[in-house]
Amino acid sequence: MFSPLEVTLIKALEVGKKYKVEEAAKISKMSVDAVFKAAYLLQDKGLAKVEEEKWKEYSLTEEGMKYLNDGFPEEIIARELESIESGEKSIAELEKKFGKELVSIAIGWLRRRGCIEIKDGIIRLIKPVSIPEREALSIIYNDRMAKVDENILKILVRRKLVRIEEFKETYIILLKKPEAELKGYISDLTPELIISGAWRGKEFLKYDIHVPSKDVFPAKVHPYERIIRECRKIFLEMGFTEIKGHYVQPSFWNFDALFQPQDHPARDMQDTFYLDRYIDMDDEVVERVRATHENGWITGSTGWGGEWSYEKAMQLVLRTHTTAITIHYLARNPEPPVKAFCIDRVYRREAIDATHLPEFDQLEGVVLDRNVGFKHLLGLLKEFFVKMGFEDVRFRPGYFPYTEPSVEPEVYVDGLGWIELGGAGVFRKEVTEPLGIKGKVLAWGLGIGRLAMLRLGMKDLRRLYLPDIGWLRNMPAVKR
Amino acid sequence: MGGIGMPVVTLYWDELEKLVGKSRDEILKRLPMLGCDIERVEEDHVDVEFFPNRPDLYSVEGVARALKGFMDVEFGYVEYSTKPGNWKIHVDESVLSVRPRIVGCVVRGLKITDEVIRSLMEVQEDLHWTIGRNRRKMAIGVHDLSMVNFPLRYTAVDKNFSFVPLDFRDEMSVAEILEKHPKGREYSFILEKSNTYPMIIDARDEAISFPPIINAEKTRVKESTTDLFIDVTGFDENVDRALNIIATMLSDRGGQIESVEVIYPDRREASPDLSPRKMKISKDEIFGLLGFSLSDDEIRLSLGRMRYGVEVGEDEVEVVIPPYRADIMHPWDIIEDIAIGYGYERIIPEYPETNTVGLTHQWNDVRELIREIMIGMGFMEVITFTLTNERVMYDYVKRRGEEWKDYTPVMHPLTEDHTIVRTDVLPKLLELLSHNKHHAMPQRIFEVGDVVVNMQNKLHLAACSTHAKANFSEIRSYVQSLMRELDVEWDVREGDDEAFIEGRRGDIFVNGKKVGVFGEVHPEVLQNFQLGYPVVAFELDVSNIFDVGELL
Repeated sequence: MFSPLEVTLIKALEVGKKYKVEEAAKISKMSVDAVFKAAYLLQDKGLAKVEEEKWKEYSLTEEGMKYLNDGFPEEIIARELESIESGEKSIAELEKKFGKELVSIAIGWLRRRGCIEIKDGIIRLIKPVSIPEREALSIIYNDRMAKVDENILKILVRRKLVRIEEFKETYIILLKKPEAELKGYISDLTPELIISGAWRGKEFLKYDIHVPSKDVFPAKVHPYERIIRECRKIFLEMGFTEIKGHYVQPSFWNFDALFQPQDHPARDMQDTFYLDRYIDMDDEVVERVRATHENGWITGSTGWGGEWSYEKAMQLVLRTHTTAITIHYLARNPEPPVKAFCIDRVYRREAIDATHLPEFDQLEGVVLDRNVGFKHLLGLLKEFFVKMGFEDVRFRPGYFPYTEPSVEPEVYVDGLGWIELGGAGVFRKEVTEPLGIKGKVLAWGLGIGRLAMLRLGMKDLRRLYLPDIGWLRNMPAVKR
Repeated sequence: MGGIGMPVVTLYWDELEKLVGKSRDEILKRLPMLGCDIERVEEDHVDVEFFPNRPDLYSVEGVARALKGFMDVEFGYVEYSTKPGNWKIHVDESVLSVRPRIVGCVVRGLKITDEVIRSLMEVQEDLHWTIGRNRRKMAIGVHDLSMVNFPLRYTAVDKNFSFVPLDFRDEMSVAEILEKHPKGREYSFILEKSNTYPMIIDARDEAISFPPIINAEKTRVKESTTDLFIDVTGFDENVDRALNIIATMLSDRGGQIESVEVIYPDRREASPDLSPRKMKISKDEIFGLLGFSLSDDEIRLSLGRMRYGVEVGEDEVEVVIPPYRADIMHPWDIIEDIAIGYGYERIIPEYPETNTVGLTHQWNDVRELIREIMIGMGFMEVITFTLTNERVMYDYVKRRGEEWKDYTPVMHPLTEDHTIVRTDVLPKLLELLSHNKHHAMPQRIFEVGDVVVNMQNKLHLAACSTHAKANFSEIRSYVQSLMRELDVEWDVREGDDEAFIEGRRGDIFVNGKKVGVFGEVHPEVLQNFQLGYPVVAFELDVSNIFDVGELL
């Protein structure tokens, strides 16, 4: 059994000839990686040999070139001494003529070879000087791969006159062509073969189906959008209408209409992105909300007391929850039955870390009807979470400023235990009555990030909004 | 929906077990069903986050009282009594414009243990934060009664008035306290706009408290203290709420509460008022909100467990509300307590019959359509933040935007990175690419999402392709294919968007209106984002081409 890569290589190469990998790649029209892969597979079958050759090349350094042209320092000094009859000269004089550095190098080497004597600062030549390194340099200069005496080479390298570079080349040798197997077998099914019918009566070459091929990473939907899609699907199946609103909202819809007192900590600049812009709302609804805040109006509530500021309500904010949209929608559609949902971005003035983001997505559903109550809210929650795949749901008392009763649903997750998942409640009368909403509003919401953590096993939510392309490529379309 | 800033109360097991008369395991099991989040369970204590509507649960005494009812140790409403005492506070006209309301009480016969002091300090802190809104609306002072000489005067002084504040040895003037005393520095913001300062002064003309900042050293509560005087100052009925919570909690500890008379220029008031409020609720309202009926006994039992007094009539229930329940504004608040007393776990959920037909929003229909086409063309979907800054949105891409007309700046941004809401998606994609340079090329990404222009949401689509050979013809081919798939007639005109290279950029026009741009991203822009490969890109205002539905 051969893979297509192997077949291609077998067909392209001559038996017994030594090919460089690049050469083989060129001839077989495959990538170098593919040639390697095919060659190693063939080697395992005893049909090819992959050989690696290593060799060294030598070349002169800048210093080496200088020595080759001008002579070695010891050579220069020896020549100087030879030209003098007495064969001696003071170091000081030599230094003056040739420089301190050159003289000191020369003295070092001449001494080591026993060619000079030094007495009272005077050098005397006592033996003729021969410099085999000079010739070696010249040989290397002419032939990078020349053979030079090992010891001399060592000295040249130590004196930083010659540098050594190591090279490597891989060769492929096809040992034999499995003609028997290739002959009469079809490897690539070509249009010609199909049209001519020449494939008839022939066998198809069998490929090794276990050899993995290259991975492809398809373009796809962001995993987070997949979760949002799933939530939308559930709401739509349950008969809810999808709604959408602007990110910029007046405090009125974000807070006041929801009976959040104007001095409530959640309304602090600390937690909310305010905008330095105010709008005007000329509506009797505003008056009713004012009265409800101040004294309860006709809702049966005591209200918050104090004075309600129109200006505060008219300041714009980046909405802090999607409830700003659902409540506005209910105010416009106050006649039951209404079922609506919203999945969208909200903002909190929060320092960014792995589990807190200044913007994130929230899901919210509301049901407005006359003959519904708290137990129906629990029924909705149960149905919703079961559809999300959380079979076990339980309920604990909760608190939200605009619902009464309020509830914190918990779902059971294997390995994690009971996990709080969002919040829910029945909108207070102080919320519904001023807006003319007829009936009771059952509402629930949760952060999509929390779902993402459970579904995708994410620990760092920042990753959702500044995705790593590698992470996206490797995240399966379905996580099971 | 989400809660914020709930105080965490530390409850010591030995104390709680003793006060409730139940074991910690039993308590731990039932506590969450009363309404709280358990933060941490330790060997000697448990940290519990109670909801901000229940300040009466910010002390071990309050929690024990609630648990005793909830766990059937004690039942129903307990009457709190006050003994009239000869304690008077004269309120001076001058303080009415600064911090007009004061109430107080005397507590006698209390065994002041470390536990009591600890609990008192904790509840004081939590009440300051919640009801008091960080002492702005309400502040509490606790004093050793034996050091306080009645009658007291509640008045306003100037900044030169001086006394020895708590934790200090020497006299300090009001001005010095606000500047140098740790509490003075912390809370001076409350009195910022004032040039006179509230002061409680005793019969010897010595200050005992400078609300809402600091008490005087002389009335410090010590081990030897047996009786307490408590003052609460502020503006409205929140002071009464706080005083009632403290008085009932100390009464539960065995203290005898004596009332204090407050004499205003125009009236007299006695505090605390520990008489209960009463509220009538119709059974229809109860059953309607809960969605199911309860027998009279069940109503009685549920409310009794939550420490209410209750009288069940034919059609109505009369509820006696304990004086510490600061949160009851509306009959529905009590109905919630009926549900809690009954037990959330006992309520049988029922899916409502409300019959409606589901409907998607066009905004998302359009997004789905575009997603399909872009993914088909090989682009990976990404999501980016909408919060950004002028640098990324404009400077880096050589564009300009106008405040409000184009972009929306936020007040008090937390970081330089998040100062405005994005008006375009493309710069965010370039930013994303700059974080992904180490991944294999080509990279093709898109985002179809919201931008905010002139404070209104618009739906934009932006896409980028980056690799060594990315060029104009590639991006034009994507644009024209997208437009063909969307069945949109369009034409291209030469543009002036400096984000792209001149002569390699185009404006997309539909019905004579500019709806988008495309081209080869300018190398200077690439450099600003530290990108090393060519990028070709387009951006389209989809909401200008399609009906994307109504936005609220």
